[in-house]
Amino acid sequence: MSTAGFNSQNGTGTGQTYTNGPSQNPVALQQPPGVGYGMNHQPAYNPMQAKVLGPPSPALYASGPYQPVPPGPQLGSYPPPPAQPLLTRPQIGVLPSHTPPQSASPGPGPRQAQATPPAQATPPPPAVTSTSYYTGPPAWQYAAPWGPAPNHVNPAAAAPPHMSHGSAQLPGPGAPPTSIHGYPQPGTAPPPMNPPPPHTYQPNRPAYGPPPTAPPAGPPGATGTPPPPKVDAGAAQPGPPGRHLGHYPSLPPGYQNTLAPPPSSLHPALQAATLPYTQGPQPYQQQPGGPGPDQLSPSMAAMSLQSGTPEALRVVNLLQERNLLPPAPVPAPTPCLTQDLQKLNCSPEVFRCTLTSIPQTQSLLNKAKLPLGLLLHPFKDLSQLPVVTSSTIVRCRSCRTYINPFVSFLDQRRWKCNLCYRVNDVPEEFMYNPVSRSYGEPHKRPEVQNATIEFIAPSEYMLRPPQPAVYLFVLDVSHNAVETGYLSVFCQSLLDNIKALPGDSRTKVGFITFDSTIHFYNLQEGLSQPQMLIVSDIEDIFLPTPDSLLVNLNECKELVQDLLKSLPNLFEKTMETQSALGSALQAAFKLLSPTGGRMSVFQTQLPNLGVGALQSREDPNQRASAKDVQHLSPATDFYKKLALDCSGQQVAVDLFLLSAQYCDLASLGCISRFSAGSVYYYPSYHHQHNPAQVERFQRDLKRYLTRKIGFEAVMRIRCTKGLSIHTFHGNFFVRSTDLLSLPNVNPDAGFAVQMSIEENLDDMQVVSFQAALLYTSSKGERRIRVHTMCLPVVSSLSDVFAGADVQAVTGLLACMAVDRSVTSSLSDARDAMTNAAIDSLSSYRQSALTIQQPGLLAPACLRLFPLYILALLKQKAFRTGTSTRLDERVFAMYQLKYQPLAFAMLIIHPALYRLDDLSDEGALNINERTIPQPRVLQLSVEKLSREGAFLMDAGLVMYLWIGRNCHQNFLSQVLGVSSYAAVPEKLCLLPELDTAESQRTRALVSWLRDQRPFFPSLHIIRDESQLKPHFMQNMIEDRTESALSYYEFLLHLQQQISK
Amino acid sequence: MIFLTVIARLADGLPLAASIQEDEQSGRDLQHYQSQAKQLLRKLDAQSPDRCMLEAGNMNFCYFISQGVCCLCLCDASFPKKMAFGYLEDLHNEFCEQYGKRVPAVTRPYSFIEFDTYIQKTKKSYVDSRARRNLSSVSTELQDVQRIMVANIEEVLQRGEALSGNQFGVKPQPVDQLSDSS
Repeated sequence: MSTAGFNSQNGTGTGQTYTNGPSQNPVALQQPPGVGYGMNHQPAYNPMQAKVLGPPSPALYASGPYQPVPPGPQLGSYPPPPAQPLLTRPQIGVLPSHTPPQSASPGPGPRQAQATPPAQATPPPPAVTSTSYYTGPPAWQYAAPWGPAPNHVNPAAAAPPHMSHGSAQLPGPGAPPTSIHGYPQPGTAPPPMNPPPPHTYQPNRPAYGPPPTAPPAGPPGATGTPPPPKVDAGAAQPGPPGRHLGHYPSLPPGYQNTLAPPPSSLHPALQAATLPYTQGPQPYQQQPGGPGPDQLSPSMAAMSLQSGTPEALRVVNLLQERNLLPPAPVPAPTPCLTQDLQKLNCSPEVFRCTLTSIPQTQSLLNKAKLPLGLLLHPFKDLSQLPVVTSSTIVRCRSCRTYINPFVSFLDQRRWKCNLCYRVNDVPEEFMYNPVSRSYGEPHKRPEVQNATIEFIAPSEYMLRPPQPAVYLFVLDVSHNAVETGYLSVFCQSLLDNIKALPGDSRTKVGFITFDSTIHFYNLQEGLSQPQMLIVSDIEDIFLPTPDSLLVNLNECKELVQDLLKSLPNLFEKTMETQSALGSALQAAFKLLSPTGGRMSVFQTQLPNLGVGALQSREDPNQRASAKDVQHLSPATDFYKKLALDCSGQQVAVDLFLLSAQYCDLASLGCISRFSAGSVYYYPSYHHQHNPAQVERFQRDLKRYLTRKIGFEAVMRIRCTKGLSIHTFHGNFFVRSTDLLSLPNVNPDAGFAVQMSIEENLDDMQVVSFQAALLYTSSKGERRIRVHTMCLPVVSSLSDVFAGADVQAVTGLLACMAVDRSVTSSLSDARDAMTNAAIDSLSSYRQSALTIQQPGLLAPACLRLFPLYILALLKQKAFRTGTSTRLDERVFAMYQLKYQPLAFAMLIIHPALYRLDDLSDEGALNINERTIPQPRVLQLSVEKLSREGAFLMDAGLVMYLWIGRNCHQNFLSQVLGVSSYAAVPEKLCLLPELDTAESQRTRALVSWLRDQRPFFPSLHIIRDESQLKPHFMQNMIEDRTESALSYYEFLLHLQQQISK
Repeated sequence: MIFLTVIARLADGLPLAASIQEDEQSGRDLQHYQSQAKQLLRKLDAQSPDRCMLEAGNMNFCYFISQGVCCLCLCDASFPKKMAFGYLEDLHNEFCEQYGKRVPAVTRPYSFIEFDTYIQKTKKSYVDSRARRNLSSVSTELQDVQRIMVANIEEVLQRGEALSGNQFGVKPQPVDQLSDSS
């Protein structure tokens, strides 16, 4: 690996020390890591800190200088560390009192509101509650299992596995891949840092003794469902909560004394550098200790809940574990439910919760400092969807919940709602099961067997007859628009796909074009050619012939096609530069309001005439400002108001923005945001100069025009009594507290909601969430799609942590941070995200960890959290100091809120693959195509090599970076060029060569593209390419001029946490 | 002007086809009339008179029943009765021609919503005064228009009783609140 070429990114050669340092031979490297980091990163660090971190607030970066964590010797380069912070370091065995310093700091209000749901108006409980909590529970949590444990130890499974694990780890240490592989497969031994000290076995024991603790917590889902299957280590398999309790063993006093850093030390940092290697193995010992049965059957472990938890709680010292990313995409965690329940549960692709174990009380949630919320992709294209036609849809009479797999049947005639607990009668009709054609088994009905189901709605679900599919296209035809050449692409795409527009014989279409005037097109049946009607009175817009502007597509197809063929030429010579978008939108609204439907608006410049005219608010000199970014909120409420009018008439507005200039997306975007539309953005679109954008536009249009669509939709999200939903993210209008108005719903839209716990969930083992989406299909059918998810309730903080879904947490935080950027400021949002990481890890350290160790500790399930937060801070939406166009920033913010989690994660944290050595090993085989599956690499230039070629998949865009000394083989077999120098400057297409290498590469790229509903353009770049900075900006783990490297960020977190 | 057209199965009032009202131009809120129409369709049965006009403020409901299919429309009080019934019969004939045989079997509401297209066209030809001239046939077919029964919609819906001595089967079905239907 050559890092020499990337000095500016990563410092000289430090990368290597970094990679290899902590993970390879820890014992030998006790000093080197420190040296490596310290020496090279620090000197430049302070100024930068002043630039980026300085302004925020003492709350975040209290005493300015970092504590010299690993590097003793380099202290000189820091301002002298004040003695005070060092003394406040947590001490083992002492009850944590760290919360106050944080919450008492100047910025607590907004920051904590961010980290915890806003509904919780009072600041989260500081040390007081946490203390009181911890004086109580630990008594039984940790002590109880200790005693009875030996009784429950399965002799066959207990001791021997321990031993074997211990020894199995010995050969492992150091090899970084091992640590990576170790984590997705808990069964295989993770590499310890060094041989475990004998006494570390003791703490493991309690892992086998949870049963005694389980009864108080109670296994989730025990009532109404069969108890968890008991595998052979039966006694060791209580309900899930019990399990994790066991993993936090109480320590013999002697143990604490041995390993605790002497509290008197003035240099905890030095201890951090020396101690981890004696303590490091500790967490690993716990992990194999927990899942006894898993060792017996790793495959079972992968699917059963028993294995997930201990691994999730494995303590990871982030400062030491370098290679955190799993080789394949990060999977969603599996909730700790009995297999029976989990089998029925909703797919995480549709429904995800930030915490797969719901805390029992709000105070417990506050203590975890993790946001509680749901991420939904409710209208996702599904390959299999059970559809039920029934004259009565069975719902709870009290809360209107749809019957679902998680209700309980008291007997054959009564069922109990899982949201409000009301007992309902089973209707006679429901007794018959149409699938099995049997009678008397209501629990076997499809409604009770599928967490995702669709109902054909009876007429009670219709306020009016189902509307037809109506599509209205509003096209910018000003001089600027004609220049971009988008019109011909649009017209051609629509011509190509006109037969594939979703709809039936009622489908209607219409067209409006505009510049400084509004042009309508009469397409009435019987006309020999389309008739253009120009309305120049834009102040008081009216419809010239209301009846013939929206026409039946079937009957007027030829006229429509004529129009599409002639439109591009119609305005070829236009000299009209003004844009009366506002009036055009008003006209379109008038046209659509009798029926509702979809309005697709294509805009290429800042609207500057009539209502809704905007002024440029962007100062290009401020694009790279490290200070706050202005103008993230709309300049006028015109677009929002119009969007709400549209919403009321079941009209959604989708905005396609194609522009090289500033268009004030922050204002324009409101038209889509509140009408449940979507926003597409093609910066610098030009039909000749930017072929990549043209291809993207074409592909996106194809998907847009042909994808499924739901009209006049509403979505309601219900949850079990005690939980309440309070903030929604996405594009919609909130009509009442829990009802989202979605004039259109499309399969590519994601939503997120925040929740709080209003009443304690004391006596509940599980809670459920149900999203019901009522919509009219393009065929005029009223349908209801219902998703139900069930999650366990837990009462201990470590269980809450164990269930954390780091991607969902990140996705939700991103949504919250977007809101914060707009309502408060960007810097505030950035602080809030950093604090979210600090708070949760600090809470974990103080309250969930029983053994205090030096380092930056995170449970394995949250080990990617700081990385993702850093990725967010460097994301276009939130970055500072790097030149970012305002519209691109705002668009990035829209994407974070709108994209379903899977795609949002790629936008936040791109995936990096090495392409020059692709092989068929582990490849997928789909439709007789072999798709190589290269491993995902950390986003750091140290992973690059000049001899290689690397693909970075950043969601909306992909970069294929060709190293200067790239193998000749790759150049000729994949790119079809003779040498590196022959790679063209602007290359967006992989040539179709008949070589195995070319086929593999193209298969991978097209497979990645097929996974998502939008089309990422591919840029093949050389080292000196113009686009290289874009590629490098995504190297999140490296330092940039204006942002911390990952390791520096970790040090920052650690310093804040240790305060 | 005809504001609302619904075609329903007589047996259970299941709506089969309808035409979206155009409230933007008329500026009226038709929601109330919609729910009245729905209730009315549930009350009608084989014993109901096959032609009837029900007054509803300054609007009239007109319906026509034949072959188990009921065509209902809402029009201005000033709209000629003759035209209204001509319109309904026209729709009925075409509808039964196209879908008549499938009517007894369907379960989904608005199964034949695509008939909307025909409704809209037909409506246009009846409403447009210039086009009406072509409909001279209407008058001859409907000489009997004077004998069509007239009643008040509110009374009918509240009493649930007969319009002309025929006993309506009282079907106490509450109109579901639509607002919480998701």
